[in-house]
Amino acid sequence: MLKIEDLHVEVDHKEILHGLDLEVPEGEVHAIMGPNGSGKSTLAYALAGREGYAVTRGRILYRGRDLTAMAPEERAREGVFLAFQYPVEIPGVVNANFLKSAVNAVRRHRGETELDAMEFLKLARQKLKLLNMDEALLSRPINVGFSGGEKKRNEIFQMWMLDPRLAVLDETDSGLDIDALKIVAEGVNALRGPSRAILLITHYQRLLDYVVPDRVHVLAGGRIIKSGGKELALELEAKGYADVVKAAAA
Amino acid sequence: MNVETAARATDFRPFGRPERLGKSLAWLDGVQEAAMERFHEHGFPSPKIESWKFTNLSRLARTTFHDAGVIKGPELTRAALEPYRLTPDCHLMVFVNGQFRPDLSVLDHVPDGTRVVDFAAANEEDLRALTAPPVVAVDPQARSLFDLNTACMSGGAVVHLGRGAILDPVQLLFVARPDTEPTAFHLRNLIRAEAGSSATVLESYIGLGEGIYWTNAVTQIAVAPNAVLRHYKLQAEGSSAFHVAATSVRLDHQAAYRMFAASLGSGLCRNEIDVDLSATDAVARLAGTTLARGVQHLDTTIRIEHSKPRGTSSQEFKAVVDGRAHAVFQGRIRVAPDAQKTDARQVSRSLLLSSTAGVDTKPELEILADDVKCSHGATIGDLDEEALFYLRARGVGEAEARKMLVDAFIGELIEHITVDTARAYFRRAFDRWLAYGAQP
Repeated sequence: MLKIEDLHVEVDHKEILHGLDLEVPEGEVHAIMGPNGSGKSTLAYALAGREGYAVTRGRILYRGRDLTAMAPEERAREGVFLAFQYPVEIPGVVNANFLKSAVNAVRRHRGETELDAMEFLKLARQKLKLLNMDEALLSRPINVGFSGGEKKRNEIFQMWMLDPRLAVLDETDSGLDIDALKIVAEGVNALRGPSRAILLITHYQRLLDYVVPDRVHVLAGGRIIKSGGKELALELEAKGYADVVKAAAA
Repeated sequence: MNVETAARATDFRPFGRPERLGKSLAWLDGVQEAAMERFHEHGFPSPKIESWKFTNLSRLARTTFHDAGVIKGPELTRAALEPYRLTPDCHLMVFVNGQFRPDLSVLDHVPDGTRVVDFAAANEEDLRALTAPPVVAVDPQARSLFDLNTACMSGGAVVHLGRGAILDPVQLLFVARPDTEPTAFHLRNLIRAEAGSSATVLESYIGLGEGIYWTNAVTQIAVAPNAVLRHYKLQAEGSSAFHVAATSVRLDHQAAYRMFAASLGSGLCRNEIDVDLSATDAVARLAGTTLARGVQHLDTTIRIEHSKPRGTSSQEFKAVVDGRAHAVFQGRIRVAPDAQKTDARQVSRSLLLSSTAGVDTKPELEILADDVKCSHGATIGDLDEEALFYLRARGVGEAEARKMLVDAFIGELIEHITVDTARAYFRRAFDRWLAYGAQP
């Protein structure tokens, strides 16, 4: 599904990722863990195509196609979804209008018929109910006045609506209390399936108690320095990043 | 004044004399002659004058304009005007190339106690408003086009509300169908709301077709004690047009004036709004938006005069500027020594959509009373890149995402329009602008 080869990414002329390799096969959930400043968010933005995150070497293959040449909206329409670490507040743009445009842009791209207002509302209500979220969210401006937990749940809601094939969740667990964390985790687990891949980017092992990954990778200094099974997350939690980074360097 | 503008100024003949209006009033002759003399003396406002330093009229001054009367009334049908109407059944006065067109107007159900008539049908009392100087005093050269309008006025609307009268929305629709030769239209509107009356007046300036013309419009408004006037203006002139307008409003005790102005047409526009809160407890709420693209230069200049105590005024203006266009916002608040307990505020926000777009914004506060609340704020910014990326990362195309953000920026201003049909009217005008902008 996702194959990253020798990825170098510069931000403001400073290289942050120095040759990152990663492969996430269809049907699997992988976690990327790493200390602050290791390049986790840079990886997330590079995958989503944010301006200013320049790929200077290497490539990102998504279902056999190079993502780096695609605009952010093309990636989204191809099925790549990034849940933001800090979802953006956009005053004046109503959630429902925005999301209907997004959903229909994706559907058009897939050759599906667009949803009319009633069909969209029906689908949105159904997903909101499953996420135990208030329908009023639809008529509010995007993320404006939302609590941290609401913003993260709104990301999960949008993810459900857009039905991606590759979901990248950037620290979606940060700043959540345990109840919100469980809701988010259930939201992610519900998306697990044979035709999808999920990449969880996180600093803490906590989320991985609820969303058990198939593989765990340690990102440090702009590279993947170690990969392993789900037990690697527990090892990191017990020993801390410093030991693992030191051992890998040795 | 430079030689060039002096020479040009002499080309203007006072063709809107009282004979034209079907009147013969000696005092009006005097008013018009004096106005023409002042215009000859001052010529066009030069950028050397403080209030004109951001807007240069030399291109306008160099153009030779013909009388509106030269043009034969183009064939226009009611159906052709449908898209520009407020509603299919509102009171409507249509002017085509400066001339009143009763055949296109709808004035058959104007309620008792109100009059909505063409300038030519004005009575002497209506015309007395013409002797009133502009409500806010400025440098006479800065006012020379007001004088030119007085000297040359060829027509316009007279709206009179008797005591306690209520008038549903009336639309004054000024349509320009430019000819091959540049043409000037000097329009004069007089709105008088007697005590306790209430009305909604929409001025629409629409250009149909390409070609150079100049709309020089003056609207004089008097709002008597406890009267309410909702005044809306859409400037959607043709892209080669010049639009110069002065709105001059005098508010009496507890009078309320609400204005919304959208400026999105013409190549060069100067829209001035002066309001004098001339008696106690008056309220003036002004809002508006400028949408500029291409090489447009659109100027909004507001002067609020708090002459008496306990007045409230607000100005909330936004500009969206794309391409190589330029927007100007000047907002002045003056509080007279006597005008204690004044509450005046002003906000201007500008959004630049391209690196070649420009904005000049100048707030000016002159506060001579000591017990007042006055504030002003101005911001100029770009589209929020983070928000743009967020929308695109969910699959919304770039053009559509930009449109959503621009719409969000101007959308909330529309809430200032309290009349539903007018709100929808401006919504449609904005949507047309945005749809055009979304094209590659």
